[in-house]
Parts: sequence; structure tokens; C-alpha cells
Amino acid sequence: MTDLVRGTQSFHFAAAFGAGGLLTLMVLCNGTLAAHGSLFFASWVPHLTGSIVALSFLVVLRPKRAAPVRPPLWGYLGGISGGVTVMLTSATMNTALALSGTIALGLAGQVVFSLFADVRGLFGLPKRRPTSRDYISMTFILAGSLILIFLGGGA
Amino acid sequence: MIVYAALAVLAGLLVGLSRQINGRLALSTSALESSFWNHLIGLVFITCIALTIGGLFAGTPGDAPWWAYLGGPIGVVFIAAGSWLIPRIGAAHTAMLIIAGQMISGVLLDIFFKAPGSTSARVIGVLCILGGVWVARGPTKRDKKG
Repeated sequence: MTDLVRGTQSFHFAAAFGAGGLLTLMVLCNGTLAAHGSLFFASWVPHLTGSIVALSFLVVLRPKRAAPVRPPLWGYLGGISGGVTVMLTSATMNTALALSGTIALGLAGQVVFSLFADVRGLFGLPKRRPTSRDYISMTFILAGSLILIFLGGGA
Repeated sequence: MIVYAALAVLAGLLVGLSRQINGRLALSTSALESSFWNHLIGLVFITCIALTIGGLFAGTPGDAPWWAYLGGPIGVVFIAAGSWLIPRIGAAHTAMLIIAGQMISGVLLDIFFKAPGSTSARVIGVLCILGGVWVARGPTKRDKKG
């Protein structure tokens, strides 16, 4: 692997890791809204403000469309899947699973889906075959996550 | 109980599904546009459900601190980042690194807010995750160009 490729990969990895940090801040904000208002409110408000902010960015930055052909219509439905997620996690959080169980099982679901999606190249994204290195890395990250979730006190 | 566990796993599957679909949209448009549609369609969907079930403005949402309203703008960047990354490093790497970043920043936040918790478990957990991220760096096989 060339230095350039490795440098690009490091940048992508750092960006994904940083996005995880943003997710923590987002959960903190939305969770605080939910502590004062309803669970619907805590999901509705960020979607409303997010739509406005994203539209403003689009108007100001005017990013070029990557391809001249129109994307498939189902490509616009990712938000529905996200909306259902909010409802499911709100429901399971208040059962015996609690927040820790909900998060841990959610991680399992994400990992299984992402592996399957890579192997099959789901929804027209590039196919990738996970290497043994990937599985080792995944085992470490999941083990560390489970330790933090169940033994670290708070997730 | 099994039903709720299945629902919690399903929620995780849907997170992956959403990221995959948004990533596909970003391939034809841009990461920012993908993030916009994700939020707008999600807004329409949640509005419909909330109007059907009711109770959107229950409680005392006015009492929330001002910064709690920043979740939306943060989410715009988060969704755009995911849509941008998934065609570049794959779904598994995107998911694992986001999880790693979320877990470690969560520990930092807990320490900042002085949340109770086991220090040794936090240290071991964080080291495990950092080790996993370190192992992940390296050549990846890509079957074919998409």
C-alpha cells in the first residue's frame, strides 16, 4: 500500500472516529430534550432544525451533483428508517433491556448488517470482502464497547 | 423479553440500512444533499406519526437548556459524514469506527460530568477499542469498483 493510500485511509478513519464523537454530542442534546419534552419532540425538533440547517448549507455551498443521472427514488427513504429507529429504541429503553441492553443489541444489529451489506454490496454500494484483520479489529472494538456499556457505568 | 431484544437488534439493523441508503443517495448527489433528504423525509414521517398518536408537545419542552436544540445541526454533519464515508471505506469500517468514536467520547463526557463508574473498566474498555482501531488500519480488499 502506498503512503498516499495509507494517508487517505487514515484520514477517512479519523473522520469516522470523529463522527462517533459527534454522535455522542447529538445523543446528549436529544436526550436532554427528551428529559423535558416527549420522545416525539426529542426526535421531531432535531429533524426540523436539521432540515433547515442542511437546506441553508445547500443554498450557500451549492455542492455539485456527483452524477448526472437521477438517483433511484428509494434513495430518498433513508430518513424513514432513521425515524423508525428512534421509536424502537424509545420502546425498548423502557423495558428490562434498559439503555445498556438497547445499545449493546443495537451494536450487534449494526455490525451484522454492515458485514452483510459489504459482502453483498447492498443498495448499489461497492462490494467488499472483510479480511481476518477486520474481524479481529471488530472483536476488540465490540469487546471494549461491551465492557464500557455493562461495567463502565453509563454508556 | 425476546421480542424487545429482537426490536433492539432491529433498531441496529435499521441504523445500518439508513446509512447504506443515504450513502447510495450521496453517490448520485452529494453527502450534504443526502443529509438534507434524510432529515426532511424523517421530519415528514415523524410529524405524521406524532399527529396520529398525539402528545408531541407534552411535558415542558420549554424548560430544556438552549444547547439541547443543537442536536439537529450536529446530526446534519453526522449524517453527511456517514454518507460520504460509506462508499469510501465500506459499511463495516464506517460502523466500527463510529462505534469506537462514540464509546470513547462517551467515556470522556462521563468523566467531564463526573458520572459514577468504574475507572478500571473504563481504562480496559478504551484500550480494547483503541487496539481494535489500530488493527483495522491496513490494506482492504475491494471486490470490484462500484
